[in-house]
Amino acid sequence: MTWTIIILLAVGVASLRLLGMYGGTALVRRVPMFERLGSLIPAAVVSAVIAQLTFASGKSLTIDARSAGVAIAAILIWRRAPIIVVILAAATTTALLRL
Amino acid sequence: MSEARVSARPEWGTLIGICLTFFAIGVTVNVLVYEHVGSAVKTIAAAGIVLSATSELAYIAVRDVGGSVLAALIAGWVVASRFGLLAASLGTRIKVGHFQRSCAALNCLDPNVGVAMQQTTPSGVMAAFWWVTGALHLGWWCGTFTGVFLGNIIGDANKLGLDAVFPALLLAIIANLLRQRPGFVAAIVGGGLCAALLPIAPAGTPIILSLTGAIVALKVPEQKVAPT
Repeated sequence: MTWTIIILLAVGVASLRLLGMYGGTALVRRVPMFERLGSLIPAAVVSAVIAQLTFASGKSLTIDARSAGVAIAAILIWRRAPIIVVILAAATTTALLRL
Repeated sequence: MSEARVSARPEWGTLIGICLTFFAIGVTVNVLVYEHVGSAVKTIAAAGIVLSATSELAYIAVRDVGGSVLAALIAGWVVASRFGLLAASLGTRIKVGHFQRSCAALNCLDPNVGVAMQQTTPSGVMAAFWWVTGALHLGWWCGTFTGVFLGNIIGDANKLGLDAVFPALLLAIIANLLRQRPGFVAAIVGGGLCAALLPIAPAGTPIILSLTGAIVALKVPEQKVAPT
């Protein structure tokens, strides 16, 4: 990864963020339906990131120790456990299953 | 206004959890980036100016399987386009000048937007956003330096289960959204679609297409699934 690549990657990522903040926000404000859509986007997009981080192994899907750790976290979240307990339990479960 | 700012601060436990999680991500990601880049300065610079672990990983993943530089860059950008969606979402809820708006845009990540969007006032959204941003930057930078300079001592960070920490944190952050029916539907459709497309779609696109979940959830009337 050269300096040019780092800068190109950074400029692209920053542009997308600014485009969303200015262009995307203007679009959402202009079309009333988009306002509710805007409040639902975090749930949909963050869930997709969770699915990818939990099940993806390269280009395939897998259920492994990491998935078990996240499953334990989900149960603890459902039981309204503190966030620190949730992440420690996820890491511990995953690490123990990999022993 | 100051009252709203104080009350909008997330609980310390949440902030510490986010900080610890980003420390873990900083370590795991930057050990890999350092291996690929071979320069501590470049690794740290990339961590700071790209500010997207998934973009860096997407770039490396494509290059590692023999993809061209352009394909790798596109993968990194596509993966980061979710930050544009999150920024658009955040932008509708804040009333600040261009400078702060631009700073917020450049710092849009999953946890800070996820926590901020659960606030009810524009000042509360901004306050929660910056509290979480501060926590994640603290963790990210400590993790980055640890990964770069102590990575060889830590060894394989995944043996410590650190790869399960980020999805667990994100799940905890959107938990309140999942307790409302539209948010639950958006999450199930978005997450399910992403999982289904992962094996067949180009890197990054499943996450963008997960936006469909939010569109489908528009048809769901707002009604609580469980008391919060």
